[in-house]
Amino acid sequence: MMNLIPFPCGIRIRLIRWSVGPWPLARPLTHFRKPANGHTGQPTNLHAVLKAACICLALVSLAACSEPPAREVVFAVGGAPAELDFWETLADDFEKESGIPLRILRRPADTDQQRQSLVISLKAQMSDPDVFLMDIAWIGLFSAAEWLMPLEDIDTAPFFKTVIEKVDRPAGQLLALPVYMDAGILYYRKDLLDAYGGESAPRTWSALAETARRIQPAERKTNGDFYGFVWTGAQYEGLVTAFMEFAGTRGGFVVEDGQIRLNVPANVRAMRFMRDLIRKFKITPPNAYTGMKEEDVRMYFQRGDALYERNWPYAWPLHQSRDSAVRDKTGVSPIPAPEAGQSASTLGGFHIGVSRFTDVKAEALQFVKFVTSYNNQKRMVMQLGWNPGRQDLYDDPDILKQAPHFKALGEVFRSARPRPLVPYYTQISAIAQQHINSVLAGNAAPQEALAAADREIRAVLSRYAIENGSK
Amino acid sequence: MDLNSNRKTKLAARTGLDRIADILQIERESLTAFMFLVPLFVFLAVLIFIPVLGTFWDSLTRDVAFLPKKFIGTANYRALIADAAFWQSVRFTLLFVFVSVPLEVLMGLAIALVLNETFPGRGFLRAAVLIPWAIPAAVSGRVFELIYHYSYGAANYLVRILDLSEGPVNWLGTDLGSFAGVVLADAWKTTPFAALILLAGLSSINPDLYKQAQIDRANFLQRFLYVTIPLLKPVLVVTLLFRTVMALRVFDVIYVLTGGGPGGATTPLSLFAYRYFSSADFGYGAAASVLLFVCALLLSVLYVKAGRFQESLQ
Repeated sequence: MMNLIPFPCGIRIRLIRWSVGPWPLARPLTHFRKPANGHTGQPTNLHAVLKAACICLALVSLAACSEPPAREVVFAVGGAPAELDFWETLADDFEKESGIPLRILRRPADTDQQRQSLVISLKAQMSDPDVFLMDIAWIGLFSAAEWLMPLEDIDTAPFFKTVIEKVDRPAGQLLALPVYMDAGILYYRKDLLDAYGGESAPRTWSALAETARRIQPAERKTNGDFYGFVWTGAQYEGLVTAFMEFAGTRGGFVVEDGQIRLNVPANVRAMRFMRDLIRKFKITPPNAYTGMKEEDVRMYFQRGDALYERNWPYAWPLHQSRDSAVRDKTGVSPIPAPEAGQSASTLGGFHIGVSRFTDVKAEALQFVKFVTSYNNQKRMVMQLGWNPGRQDLYDDPDILKQAPHFKALGEVFRSARPRPLVPYYTQISAIAQQHINSVLAGNAAPQEALAAADREIRAVLSRYAIENGSK
Repeated sequence: MDLNSNRKTKLAARTGLDRIADILQIERESLTAFMFLVPLFVFLAVLIFIPVLGTFWDSLTRDVAFLPKKFIGTANYRALIADAAFWQSVRFTLLFVFVSVPLEVLMGLAIALVLNETFPGRGFLRAAVLIPWAIPAAVSGRVFELIYHYSYGAANYLVRILDLSEGPVNWLGTDLGSFAGVVLADAWKTTPFAALILLAGLSSINPDLYKQAQIDRANFLQRFLYVTIPLLKPVLVVTLLFRTVMALRVFDVIYVLTGGGPGGATTPLSLFAYRYFSSADFGYGAAASVLLFVCALLLSVLYVKAGRFQESLQ
């Protein structure tokens, strides 16, 4: 009740002096300040108004000073404006349905900055945000740091089994649920492949390079900016996901004798191929390694300036949008395979988790269930074109009508390969990014760069296992 | 009688502060002066000393989110010294300082000399020169990113209409290109800062000295070398000091423009440390920050010594 005391005290006292009636706080004060004219008559209209004003003032000061409602769920999510709009409407519906207030904490679109903001609040053990979306690549860190509350009482049957087992249930406890899935896929120009010999989408990287080298000069005659193949080569996480796909199942982060290694033949071949795409075959734009992240790649292809594009499935609805130059000219196919080993699409996507420091455990869990429910996942598909984490939606007739390519994508997700689920993944990925990028920049030879990356990875690991290998 | 009563009140007015002054064996006036400084000390302590000490302490621990926190002495520093990426970052940072600071101060001096002359429109020009400094660094980084952009950048537009190269140039694609790119962007942004301080220094030089030098038939160069430079020296040293420390911890322009690439060629130490902070490896990032802090401190001391600051202040 101390809350009643603050702010313009003088005003309140003056108001109270005129108020009569059995009002607990007014009484003692009116004792001291009896109106001079002894006016104690029946409450008039003025009295009623003033009394109401008093109560309002008291309530306002009470509200201003009291804590916000304790049961509020705070949900941290970042992304493009259209994505945040979707989350806002979902939040409104959740409030209406459950009566639990939900606040959205808007985060930047950049995933690294999203991770940073979560790491800071979790490291400080803050009670907000309660629920957040995490990139699949952070789950190793978040679970090892014990920042995630185990999700109880959740039926995981409708979700992709391999994803749940490999990513969300690392040690027997369910710590997260997939909200949307990503896996690298190859976009190609159907019309151009038809026009130049009627070929189908390439099954191997060498076939891709061959067709691109043939079609690019022919297309250049009419379009000076045309390139054969665009992919994410800038120094960031997207480069690592593409690199793993160039390397195939025998490459990527290979674990040998319990040690993560990059310097293996499949990776060396992949690095050479990536460098040659830019520097020898010249079928990838020269700025691929400085300025090409997924959005740059997507826009390049969407302008009609590329034959092939490696990107995530989110690009599909955008390529099919009304102002797109490649509308109805685009095909989707699985990632091509390298010479040795099989094709490996890198698994991406965002998962929902609950902070271990949450103050609204039950409500947060309720929100997780709400977001991952069949209907809301379906809404996400219809509104954003994203690929849901629930397997059962890939057979939904409404969805297949809107996005016929979903049938094939379901297969891709089932076989997609996750990145290593180690807590220090961000660090080893940063090392890999730098060395792969410097090969693309022509500053290092593939094998030397990978050997250097291995040395740095070993140094990081020895730093963490500083007392005889224990964690 | 009168004197006596005066003394009495004086004795009666002896407060706790007087006693503190006695204990510390300083004058009552000095104590008052110190009292005025206390808010500043508190401010500096809360905002600077405590965080610096906290960072230093953190650098001696293995503070990784997924491992138990543990005191490990100098292990982080030893690991840093063996870290090739750290040395690449140190080389870049120092090179950046040694190229960008002289460039900016020289250009700033040239601009300040021009703006110190009297000519029509000087007020407007003085204000206009400050515009780059008023633009947030992240925004100017983005502006330069658009200038250097491979497909639709202004630089490649010029290359095309002037027919300077066969195809567009990937400006930030080589070590040299990205280095020059970030230096240019930083110089554009911070030269006005140097110009502003130097202009203040120039306008405090007594114009009579120039008149006298003119009477002595000193030419323009002589007036500059024997009047301007010696009198501007304290301000010049301050400008160099400010710019050096700011260039040492450069972050925003580069973070936006190159993100540290290509291949980590343009990673300043602050970005290096930030990467570890943002991936929950706080101890290692703290160690890198402490080394950066020590670098900045040593260079500052060097400047102050080389500039014989105390003499010129007196």
